[in-house]
Amino acid sequence: MKTLLLLPLLATGVMADDFFDDCYKIEDIKLPPGAPPEVGAIDFAPDGTLFVVLRRGDVLRAKPESDPTAFKWELFATGFHNGCGVHAISSSKIRVTQMADMMQVEDTDKDGKGDRYTRFSSGWGLSGNYHETNTLTGDGKDGYFLSIGTASHNGPVFSHVLGDYSPEGRRGRNFSAVKWRGWILHCDAGGKLTPWASGFRMHNGIYRDPDGNLWAGDNQGDWKAVTPLYHIEKGNFYGHPSSLVWDSKWEGRDPLAFYRDNLEQYNKDRTKAAVEIPHMEINRSAGEPMELPRNGSFGPFAGQLLVPDNNGKRISRVMLEKVNGKFQGAVTHFIDDHGLRSGNHRLRFTADGKQFYTGQTVRGWGAPAEGLQRITWVGGVPADIETMKITPKGFVVNFTKEMPDELADRSAWAFSSFTLQPRWVYGSDPENQRPHQIKEIKKTGPKTIEVELEDFSAARIYRLDLKNVKYADGKKRTELQNNMFFYTANELPQ
Amino acid sequence: MENFTSLILITTGCCAVTIDEKEWSPVSVFRFAKSNDLMKSLALLFLGALPLAAQPYLTFNNRPLGSEEAPLVIQSYLPDPGIDEAVFALHHKGLLAPAYSPKEGRDTDGKEKPGPGIPAGIAVSMGPQLAYVFDSVECRPMYAWQGGFLDFTPYWGDEKRGSRVSKDYVPRLVGSLYYKAEGEHPLSIDGKPVRKPEFIGYSLEKGVPRFEFKAGDHVVKSIIRPVKDSFSYEAEWTCEPSAKLAWKEGAFTALGEGKMKYTFTGKSIAEYHGYQIKVDLSKANAKAGDVLFNAYGCSGCHSTDGSKGYGPSLAGLADSMKELEGSSERVKADTAYLFESIKDPNAKVAKGYPPNYMPPFQLKDVEINSLVLYIQSIGKPE
Repeated sequence: MKTLLLLPLLATGVMADDFFDDCYKIEDIKLPPGAPPEVGAIDFAPDGTLFVVLRRGDVLRAKPESDPTAFKWELFATGFHNGCGVHAISSSKIRVTQMADMMQVEDTDKDGKGDRYTRFSSGWGLSGNYHETNTLTGDGKDGYFLSIGTASHNGPVFSHVLGDYSPEGRRGRNFSAVKWRGWILHCDAGGKLTPWASGFRMHNGIYRDPDGNLWAGDNQGDWKAVTPLYHIEKGNFYGHPSSLVWDSKWEGRDPLAFYRDNLEQYNKDRTKAAVEIPHMEINRSAGEPMELPRNGSFGPFAGQLLVPDNNGKRISRVMLEKVNGKFQGAVTHFIDDHGLRSGNHRLRFTADGKQFYTGQTVRGWGAPAEGLQRITWVGGVPADIETMKITPKGFVVNFTKEMPDELADRSAWAFSSFTLQPRWVYGSDPENQRPHQIKEIKKTGPKTIEVELEDFSAARIYRLDLKNVKYADGKKRTELQNNMFFYTANELPQ
Repeated sequence: MENFTSLILITTGCCAVTIDEKEWSPVSVFRFAKSNDLMKSLALLFLGALPLAAQPYLTFNNRPLGSEEAPLVIQSYLPDPGIDEAVFALHHKGLLAPAYSPKEGRDTDGKEKPGPGIPAGIAVSMGPQLAYVFDSVECRPMYAWQGGFLDFTPYWGDEKRGSRVSKDYVPRLVGSLYYKAEGEHPLSIDGKPVRKPEFIGYSLEKGVPRFEFKAGDHVVKSIIRPVKDSFSYEAEWTCEPSAKLAWKEGAFTALGEGKMKYTFTGKSIAEYHGYQIKVDLSKANAKAGDVLFNAYGCSGCHSTDGSKGYGPSLAGLADSMKELEGSSERVKADTAYLFESIKDPNAKVAKGYPPNYMPPFQLKDVEINSLVLYIQSIGKPE
């Protein structure tokens, strides 16, 4: 049976085990005995104290230790309802988004335990459905952006719900029977909420990058063809119709029924993903995006976005660029297995930018893929594609290292493309698949290849499969870290 | 019980016991117990739960219990033990909805019924003598009970299997219910009834929560503590700025000036025994498989109507020819295949799914055989 299992692994490009260890180290952080390690959220306070929010309601804190098994955990607070977002304001004050509201907990008598629990913000509804979790990112001005998850048809609603109830919003596979489910909200420094963007299914993770750009993923499912990564802008609709019942423009109408039968209008109205991330090959369920430190403290790929996979032993790496004023780009693996657990959905870098922590849970969903791991850059640079940028006729690809001649040969490169149409079904298969012949391939620098493709056009997702060539690297022969890349070409540069 | 030769009681907890209706009689224990300590120890014996003070974390013990010294305060979905409709003045109503077919993408025959539950309540356990729910929406105690707390098994899942129960995951009460809220908010301030309270939060005073809310220009605080007598609790209400306080709930009344303190004594309204599902597993049967299919959360990933979901649909699966990952051979989904796919889900992985995607659920063979019979009873998609 082993061989059966190995084949799909090979197909998804797990290579070069030895070399990975020269670049990155993955460690299990031991939580205290007796604490079920279902990590809903993590954050560092400014003094470096790490807070960990667990599904059953406990909040642990500890100063990180170099020995991953030697953290001196303390129980700081307890009793949150599936807290999935945390902001550690200080080592004694945190804010947590739980199902019904956002609470602040402070240790006012400095005995090490939170004693003052106050509501910081509320105003979204809660129907009684298990799926309605929420998370946060800072807005750069002492406020937040909050992602408010939808309900699932695998769970009920209660006879008595928190907030307004919409019969139209109750319909469908993932639904929005109560307010702001499927939305991103802005929460100002006083806790006041303003609706920001709609159309989400389960955007379990939201992130504001140092430039102020807001990013959120989603989970493949109804109205989500694969795993999308969205650049969030105010007022946009990101494709899941149920949330629109809370938009006054749709009052009295059923957006789900309307868009089901009007896909053309749907495609005009929705904002597409900046990057579509194939769920089988790369990422099944996007967690919280996080930028790799721009100063290079974590090694190569500085400034690129990581997207953890909540349902795979993977973290994806997104290479963004702005084309005609809009973000789009390529995606591949950052880590695929190598001892990483599944359930990844929260990422935080340490203040020195040399390590990041990944919080893992499948949130009561079966497999114990639960816990906390830490990834450290140990100094090596993997042989990999560093950037993949679009040109009017194809791509210009930069590698992290000088290429062997074999890699500059056209026989090492295979391009194909497809389109995706989200609709009411659970995930959509690729459509209009076709291979692209290479018209011209040029090595324009020791690390750079330019490729021109036949039949190159916009509004397609291009897949690049690279032959697994050997690199000469010091004494070792190493292989490419990744050999599968997907570029979402919403636009061609003009 | 007489119909079940073998009773499966799904419960966790370090020393969970099979609770027979006849063995379980906390009411009589409390009625005849003179000593508080005896009451405590007897209650613990019956509950099979350890006080939380011995273990600081919320653990895989799905029946946590606080104590007077270290109360447990948990916001969660909470059971609604039949509370008067008028109490839910500030909640909105969940309505009957047309059933939805994920296969068709349309409304279909049938209705989805909303179920009982409290969405934003805060449950407090102060040991076997007192548990109560304070609601953050209505800003009042909703109900109180003694002899246990909550059984989170259907919501948190057990340690090994992990899954919540599909559509029936609200934690269950454990113990004797003796207080249920009645009517609109019972508190008046200077003769004016509280109608639109706004929750502020709570402070822990030596671990005991004092809840706070705004009512007009007043800040109202409420602390509830256990007392020695059975079916009783003591409540203290204060308001700032100071004003005349009055509590009128059913036939019960209390008065105060700036501060109001009263002891409520009720009588047993109902007994609750936590979460248990009863299935006849004397031999494998499809009916038991149906119950387990929901209890173990299988339905979260596998549809029974042919629609796509997280895992393959089970509609028409039995005896069909299946494509597998990493193999060009097709295999027949016969009894042996279905059994293996549950027992060791990664032995053969269905086409289109990654390895190690479905967890092994560590079920007994008779449970697996029941699930297989259930899967074989599901028809082909229309």
